[in-house]
Amino acid sequence: MLTASSNAGAMRQHLARTDDGTVALCALDKLSQAVAVIDPNGQVLFQNAAFGKLFGDEAWATELPDLIGPAADRTDRIGLREITRRGRTFRIETSALPQGLLVTAEDVSERVAEQARAAALARTDPLTLLGNRLMFRERLTELLANLAEPTKAAAVLAVGLDRFKIINESLGTSVGDALLRVVADRLRSAIRPGDVAACFGNDQFAVVQLGQPQPESAAALASRLVDMLGRSYIVEGHLINIGASVGIALMPSDGSDCDQILKNAELALNRAKQEGRCTYHFFETAMDEQMQARHSLELDFRRALALREFALVYQAQLSLGSKQITGFEALLRWHNPKRGLVSPADFIPLAEEIGLIAPIGEWVIRTACREAADWPQKLSVAVNVSAVQFHSPSLVSTIISALAESGLDPRRLELEITESVLLGEHRTALDMLHKIREMGVRVSMDDFGTGYSSLSYLRSFPFDKIKIDQSFIRGLPDDSSNAAIVRAIAALGQSLGMTTVAEGVETETQLAHVAAAGCTHVQGYLIGRPLPPEQLDEFLRSQLESPRWQTLNLVDGPRKTAGA
Amino acid sequence: MVSALHRLVYYSRNRIQGTPVEITVAVDAILASAQRNNSLNHVTGALIFNAGVFAQVLEGAGHDIELTFEKIQRDPRHGDLQVLAFEEVQNRGFPSWSMAFVGRSREGQNLFAHLGEATTFEAKRMEGERIFEIISAIAVEEEVHAAW
Repeated sequence: MLTASSNAGAMRQHLARTDDGTVALCALDKLSQAVAVIDPNGQVLFQNAAFGKLFGDEAWATELPDLIGPAADRTDRIGLREITRRGRTFRIETSALPQGLLVTAEDVSERVAEQARAAALARTDPLTLLGNRLMFRERLTELLANLAEPTKAAAVLAVGLDRFKIINESLGTSVGDALLRVVADRLRSAIRPGDVAACFGNDQFAVVQLGQPQPESAAALASRLVDMLGRSYIVEGHLINIGASVGIALMPSDGSDCDQILKNAELALNRAKQEGRCTYHFFETAMDEQMQARHSLELDFRRALALREFALVYQAQLSLGSKQITGFEALLRWHNPKRGLVSPADFIPLAEEIGLIAPIGEWVIRTACREAADWPQKLSVAVNVSAVQFHSPSLVSTIISALAESGLDPRRLELEITESVLLGEHRTALDMLHKIREMGVRVSMDDFGTGYSSLSYLRSFPFDKIKIDQSFIRGLPDDSSNAAIVRAIAALGQSLGMTTVAEGVETETQLAHVAAAGCTHVQGYLIGRPLPPEQLDEFLRSQLESPRWQTLNLVDGPRKTAGA
Repeated sequence: MVSALHRLVYYSRNRIQGTPVEITVAVDAILASAQRNNSLNHVTGALIFNAGVFAQVLEGAGHDIELTFEKIQRDPRHGDLQVLAFEEVQNRGFPSWSMAFVGRSREGQNLFAHLGEATTFEAKRMEGERIFEIISAIAVEEEVHAAW
């Protein structure tokens, strides 16, 4: 056993014999670092005041040999180590002296605790206090390293909230944050001890589920999460309904590394969301292939604007009253040398998702205005504007500058919007629409009859025109319910003072029917296919030379002949 | 004000599997724990169980209702919960914690009578009666559906 007192006095006397020794002794004693000299037998020959302060307490006597290191190799030992005893962590450095050992010690408990706090903080989501992505990845990596045994299995569940963004925007981030905390609590209560839950920020959560049998256990947990997280909430006095979707990747079958498993779970989550949300989906290899295909489409699409692969084509609209062409709808086409003609149905949702709809939409508005300004007749040009474009206030300034640059009369420009523009928090969208209309630009409700078709949307803004979705025209004349819908919308338009355009008119019978139903305008292959700008001259000339619609004998003329 | 007196009315569907007797035992346990928990945070109300449906009125400070509701939502023994009303009120319609147990048929009526003896059922105020009637109506409606 080390005793700090036995030989220390002798050492002190020895050092005190010379003046140099006195100086050295005083210097050592005043050092803030704890220093001691130990003889080969483990006896403390000298300790300074700082060492005494650290280990002077009797209780340390039994701990000291262990702190300093094994007795056997003390003589030649030079070492550095950190060791924790009795709740304190010490940094102990030992170096050999000609006779004995020099020991310096430092209490680093605060630093170690601070490091631990910082490490925990770096692995915690500050809002929900769940682990964050870093913690999740570390645990997953650790788990994957131990999954070598084929009997072991685990699953990663990626959890997404549906409609959270709307709640956050409409009720404010303080309610949104409080909601996420409750969601996190529900998530904690739904998993088993040993499972790992994390919040990746915002409304993205993930769980590692350990144990067998898979995939049954993961399916049961996913179903529980969809149920529990999708139940209504009361937060800060608000009754809130959101949904939860879950994507599952199994280990080790769906991936051998952390990135791959997380990516696959998220792919499965996307599929669950596509399938109407509030459901769960397992990862399938085909999803990866689809993702690759989508990624490649995205790459091509991002280049398309710069490479001038976009073009506008124009489809004519005919007034049933004047039996004249009154304008054209501009339709976007993407010609890719590798893919050929890509359907807007494929790339518009992609453009909205990756945030490229604003630049594409701007290009469409500017191009349509410029090309229409060159037309031989002062016909109207209709441009489709996506709901996403209304998220940015620059839409209004884009329209102003497109009109100014092209010199197009604002009254010739028409914006076609769908009712999704007016969904949710639509105050800003309405303000923008009013500003646009004040310039003289006209606004149409597109694809009416699909979606909500709410009368309140029609009443919320003075639309100039209602476009009846082509799906209602396609079944004419045989589908009696479609015929009734077309009649009802036409009557609605008439009573609200809006013109009504029947889209997708392909046969003369359909034309006669929509005219009888009271529609004021028609658009479709019967009137004209979408044409590139250089063919519009000829198209219009042929209309003048042989006005095929003037002679058209409609069964029952349109009730209202509002000109466009 | 979140601390103001609020009333919450909801119904949900039973997910307890078992024989009628087992379900009765489980529902009794739910009622007992609800009474225990709610007396602690001054939440009062009424809980009805009938042929597969729980219907409940909860009254208390907004914050306490939020906590109680969250506890209820995490209970896997029921699901498909629908909130019928969540609003600020001036007075409690159910000033003390009460419960009712609506059964299907005569057998159910006996169960109801039995539980009525065990607790005080105070649905005297007009408002309380109205809410109770809503709950009763739903319970009866569900009973008709279940009978089909």
